Amino acid sequence: MTDAQIVGVGMTDFGVHERPLPELFADAAFEAFDDAGVDGPDVDAFYFGNAMGGQTEDDTHLAPTLASHVGMAGVPCQRYEDACATSSNAFKHAVRAVEAGQHDVVLVGGVERCTPATGLETPAMTSVFATAAHRQYEQPTGLTFPGVFALLTKRHMHDHGTTEEDLAAVAVKNHRHGTMNPRAQFGKETTVEEVLEGPIVADPFHLMDCCPFSDGAAAAVVASEEVAAALSGTPVGVAGVGHATDVVPIADKAELTATQSARDAAAQAYAEAGITADDVDVVELHDCFTGAEVLAVEALGLVDDGEGGTAAAEGRTALGGEIPVNPSGGLKAKGHPIGATGVAQLVELTEQLRGEAGDRQVDDATHALAHNLGGDAATTVVSVLEVVA
Amino acid sequence: MSDDRLTHDEWAKAVRDGDLLGQQCDECGAVIGSPKAACVECGARALETVSLPTTGTVYTETTIGVAPAGFDGPYRVAVVDLGEARVLARLEGDAAIGDAVELAGVVETDDGDPAPLFS
Ligand SMILES: [Zn+2]
Repeated sequence: MTDAQIVGVGMTDFGVHERPLPELFADAAFEAFDDAGVDGPDVDAFYFGNAMGGQTEDDTHLAPTLASHVGMAGVPCQRYEDACATSSNAFKHAVRAVEAGQHDVVLVGGVERCTPATGLETPAMTSVFATAAHRQYEQPTGLTFPGVFALLTKRHMHDHGTTEEDLAAVAVKNHRHGTMNPRAQFGKETTVEEVLEGPIVADPFHLMDCCPFSDGAAAAVVASEEVAAALSGTPVGVAGVGHATDVVPIADKAELTATQSARDAAAQAYAEAGITADDVDVVELHDCFTGAEVLAVEALGLVDDGEGGTAAAEGRTALGGEIPVNPSGGLKAKGHPIGATGVAQLVELTEQLRGEAGDRQVDDATHALAHNLGGDAATTVVSVLEVVA
Repeated sequence: MSDDRLTHDEWAKAVRDGDLLGQQCDECGAVIGSPKAACVECGARALETVSLPTTGTVYTETTIGVAPAGFDGPYRVAVVDLGEARVLARLEGDAAIGDAVELAGVVETDDGDPAPLFS
């Protein structure tokens, strides 16, 4: 066994991109290559995430297509589909392959287009997203993904008194963070009043409680500790990765507000890293909806159960607060191109641990945590990164 | 394959007739609201088809404002707690979390897939 390190990262701006997936992905991949000090022929394998290309772009078998496009034709390629947790699942397998000595240098990445640039407007894209719900026992109700998280969040509001204002405070915080991230889709602040005045997408979520449809790509070069030492990129250590699932569909889950897969994945990641939640300095978590951040800060142990609702409103999870959450702006402000999101979280955290995050830098961060959730919280991957001594 | 393993087709026909089918595990006793080939609690394949209660309470609910293609919002969706199991359903009326509801029929998609309707 060796240790896996991230030696290079890259991502496109998130937003609207009128470009084919290979061209979009190449920008992120080459940025990661250059950051690591490698080129296509140095890479031994490709771990790739794309959730919906077959449905949205009539484009499948993408991994070897992209590998050929960026100068690494011939390497073993694998494509992951795990709803919104797609590329962190790819990352997990890349890390395990490097740790096992199967490969020395691998490229991990994801790309997705979800905006009307695909030719699909909101109702059609909402349908595509809804295919991650149970085909027989959820989809016929007309449940949407905002609806899935609305069901979980309404129960949290009932159990713990979380308010719509508390939810809006998450959007306000993450938009403020997003103003400091030049790659974010939304670069402007919002207010609690503005969020609450927006149209209802799925009660209690107004439009601004929801992440946008986004296009974008993200990539990371992962290498063994030994090989990383010989590369020019500044390495960041992969201290632990946890990956767990929960029962599908929602109605069969034992607990709706627990997001149990996140608790299980976090426990695995903390154990592997030899740390606890108290040791984490900065977090990128899956705030597809404001309520999702409320559930996640509890599931990760960053606040006590029942305190997630008010954490943002009280400033606890803001930059400068006790545990900064989503300094990048999160999915809410940075954007959420499904298959690119997991790796984009790792891009942000790598830059945070290197001290390269500019105005949104968390001072003296040594441990960073990524939480990437898929489907109805049925899948969660939690990764812990650390500064290399 | 076991002849008595509950299929989606059988579940769909029954719910249209007002009979909400679920399963009970012969091994651990768990009751399952959405039919499966094995028990979600213990993995046993010995699942007996049972009729679930058609009255329960709203466990959580939402009003969908932005609907997928083929659906016209707004409409309500709820997780209904039937005591021994929960199911996802359409909800009509103004029942809130904790309020009593009962099976009132089904809604059908354009593809002919039913969802339970509670009110
Ligand atoms: Zn059982």
